[in-house]
Amino acid sequence: MLRFENVEKIYKGDVAALSDVNVDVQKGEFIFLVGPSGSGKSTFLKLLLHEEQPTSGRIIVAGRDITRLSHWKLPQLRRNVGTIFQDFKLLPSKTVYENVAFAMEVIGRPKHVVQSQVPQVLELVGLESKSDRFPNELSGGEQQRVSIARAFVNRPLILLADEPTGNLDPANTVGVMRILDSINKAGTTVCMATHDGRIVDAMRRRVVELDHGRVVRDEVRGLYGEGGEQ
Amino acid sequence: MWGRIKYFGRETVISLRRNLLMTIAGVITVAVSLALFGGILLLSRWVDHGTERIKGGVRLEVFMNVEATDGQIADVRSSLNTDPDVKSFRFFDKQDALAEFKRIFRKDPDLVKNITADALPTSYRIVPETAEKTSNIQNRFEVLPGVDDVATPEEALRGLLDATNTARIIFIGLSLILLMSSLFLIVNTIRLATFARRREIEVMKLVGASNWFIRVPFMAEGLIQGLIGAGLAVAVVVALKVGFDRWFNSPNGFFREFYLTTADAVTVSIYVFVLGIVIGLIGAIIGLRRFLRV
Ligand SMILES: Nc1ncnc2c1ncn2[C@@H]1O[C@H](COP(=O)(O)OP(=O)(O)O)[C@@H](O)[C@H]1O
Ligand SMILES: [Mg+2]
Repeated sequence: MLRFENVEKIYKGDVAALSDVNVDVQKGEFIFLVGPSGSGKSTFLKLLLHEEQPTSGRIIVAGRDITRLSHWKLPQLRRNVGTIFQDFKLLPSKTVYENVAFAMEVIGRPKHVVQSQVPQVLELVGLESKSDRFPNELSGGEQQRVSIARAFVNRPLILLADEPTGNLDPANTVGVMRILDSINKAGTTVCMATHDGRIVDAMRRRVVELDHGRVVRDEVRGLYGEGGEQ
Repeated sequence: MWGRIKYFGRETVISLRRNLLMTIAGVITVAVSLALFGGILLLSRWVDHGTERIKGGVRLEVFMNVEATDGQIADVRSSLNTDPDVKSFRFFDKQDALAEFKRIFRKDPDLVKNITADALPTSYRIVPETAEKTSNIQNRFEVLPGVDDVATPEEALRGLLDATNTARIIFIGLSLILLMSSLFLIVNTIRLATFARRREIEVMKLVGASNWFIRVPFMAEGLIQGLIGAGLAVAVVVALKVGFDRWFNSPNGFFREFYLTTADAVTVSIYVFVLGIVIGLIGAIIGLRRFLRV
């Protein structure tokens, strides 16, 4: 579903964020990207979104080489790849419902599809009763669930999550992880960057560890620290 | 489709309202510069009509006697054909003369009613090789049998033409400067609008909205500013046309040959409108340039 081939990313100013990264993720997998702050996790995800381009190497997403993607093909990639962030990126002037509907409207989905899909997705994330609330009336966990609903409502093949629980307390973290798990079980490939060891240890999924931009560990049922299955 | 149009309409209106002051400033500069531009075009047309003879390259006109015989007319023609100073010429028969008479005195129906083609002289309109040959030609043809008079352009008309040409250049320069500043203002409004909506734009890009979908509301915003400005300018053009008709319509006055037709006003209005649209769209495109790269 997604593949990094000898990927290297050097930012302006000679910062080597990723070096010689080779990762192959199958459809339906759930992988954790772990590593200390500055190890290159966000860069890894940005390359998948084509927000940044690799300095060398190749990146394949859903069978397409996106290494040199022309800018008019970018929207198609983004529709296949849902994204959530630590800071949610919700629109404060729109309600929960409108925030999710917005993601469908702006890619031109017809109104009746929006009207049937949005409530379904809000139910999936357990927010059907809060659809008329504004983001600032919700807890952090609820806001993150809205952002998951928005990322998922267009049924992407892949869901990227950059430290989605970074701002959440443990109870909300569990809620968010349950939703990501069920989305993954329904067939979506999930790629989540985190440095929360408890989550990783509890889920026992594939773990790719980065350190100074290099893959130092890739385990099928990994732990946050050493000791998972190779 | 309808849903999309509604979406774009709503987004555009929100954005226009959010930047109301900038929008008004943009609209006013567009209006002023286009009004100036339209005014110049109109003035040019007015002067063009008045100075058609000079503009058309006709430097002198040989009027035959009203009773000149066909033979005399033909003799003058053959002299013109062989005259080395004559570059080109054109014969105006009595019907042509009547048509022109009607045009010049259209404000004076009594005069027009009482005239017939027979009462008018035929003439040759002559373009000399160079302007300096004008008096040579005049001297040679004045004396031919059947020739009544050789008229050369009035000096006053020439002076006016020079003055209006200068005025034209100055005003066109001025309106160009104003057009540039209105373009700049629209660019700025669009920049502000994109800044005000940067979160929405970020989300749109994230979920894969196409580039044109992101841009359309902003393009519409620029277009609307251009259109409103152009609308105001067209109102000025119409007012000017009415004003010209009212102030300069004396059939005997110096400006009797100067006039504006409805077609002139319509043509100028169309130019103004198209320019308004172009400025609005180009302003928006420049204002949106940073979005070419995500
Ligand atoms: N836009 C950028 N320009 C220059 N350097 C950057 C940029 N983004 C990230 N970096 C650098 O790249 C390295 C990896 O950063 P990042 O991918 O954000 O790591 P992580 O998400 O694991 O904390 C860091 O050293 C960071 O300072
Ligand atoms: Mg990061």
